[in-house]
Amino acid sequence: MKINPRYYPAIIIAAYVIFLLLGILLGFGPERGGGHGLLLLTETCA
Amino acid sequence: MTTKTASLSKSRRTIQWLAVIGTFVIGLRHIMPGEASRGGSFDSFCAFGGIETLLPYLFTGQVLKSTNLLNFSVLIATLGVALVAGRAFCGWLCGLGALQDFVAEWTRKLLGKKRHIRGKPSKTILPLRLPASIDRPLRYAKYLVLAAILVASLYAAFPPLREFCPVRAVFSLKMTPLLWLSLVVFLAGSVLVERFWCKYLCPLGAALALFNKISPVRLVSSTTCNNCGRCDIECSMGIEDVPNNLTDTECIRCLECLDTCTRDGSLELKVLKIGEEQ
Repeated sequence: MKINPRYYPAIIIAAYVIFLLLGILLGFGPERGGGHGLLLLTETCA
Repeated sequence: MTTKTASLSKSRRTIQWLAVIGTFVIGLRHIMPGEASRGGSFDSFCAFGGIETLLPYLFTGQVLKSTNLLNFSVLIATLGVALVAGRAFCGWLCGLGALQDFVAEWTRKLLGKKRHIRGKPSKTILPLRLPASIDRPLRYAKYLVLAAILVASLYAAFPPLREFCPVRAVFSLKMTPLLWLSLVVFLAGSVLVERFWCKYLCPLGAALALFNKISPVRLVSSTTCNNCGRCDIECSMGIEDVPNNLTDTECIRCLECLDTCTRDGSLELKVLKIGEEQ
């Protein structure tokens, strides 16, 4: 399927952000300090 | 055609500047007091730190000093981009890659090239294009660097590349004599050879290289290509015969070749389905 090159940057950035969030939700978040809500969320879920 | 390519090139340059500034801000945050409240050290924001600490983590359950679990998230994000679009991370999101592009551009300007004309070879002496007989063997060095670091990581307390890492040398703002040396080598290399670090030494690029063969978002050439060679001239990674090497492991998916192509349909960006041929 042909895609417009104009959307290429958005595809890359979206992929990066989605996989980064996936990693954090899998529990690979920052370890130290406060203010990292997603880590707390995953810990709560676990 | 002109409008499309101009906007793509501009987007890339903007994203590259954001990557450089973003990495610099991470470095800046970590020279300020209270590092413990900032998610870990500068190293813990590095995708390659995830590779360096992967084997120790698998074998011992512990990450190397100065890294933490965040490295794995950044690595997953980088691999995610590679899974979708090959080495696009190198061409678009890597701060160090961006800096090399800027250094090459500034070098050309300093040596008298007033403006960049797409598809025309630069008349300035630097950056050089090394002869193929030297260039090709040197490109395998990055795989050796990757292998050496993976082995060393099993015996190391800190990430093995840490003391020589050009990202730390450029952005971490905490310099040591070895990092100064690394900075000088990196800058001199980038002036001499375009994308010097990416071509010959970057272990992250080596780890991402194979994804160029399997990623579904890729460039495809068609029979309308007349092999004019404009794309070869624009390729910062020095790939020869670009239209026939679009899945080359050296390609950083910057799309400068598409940008410079003047024949509609010769190069197209496509999403290939599983098993679909170009």
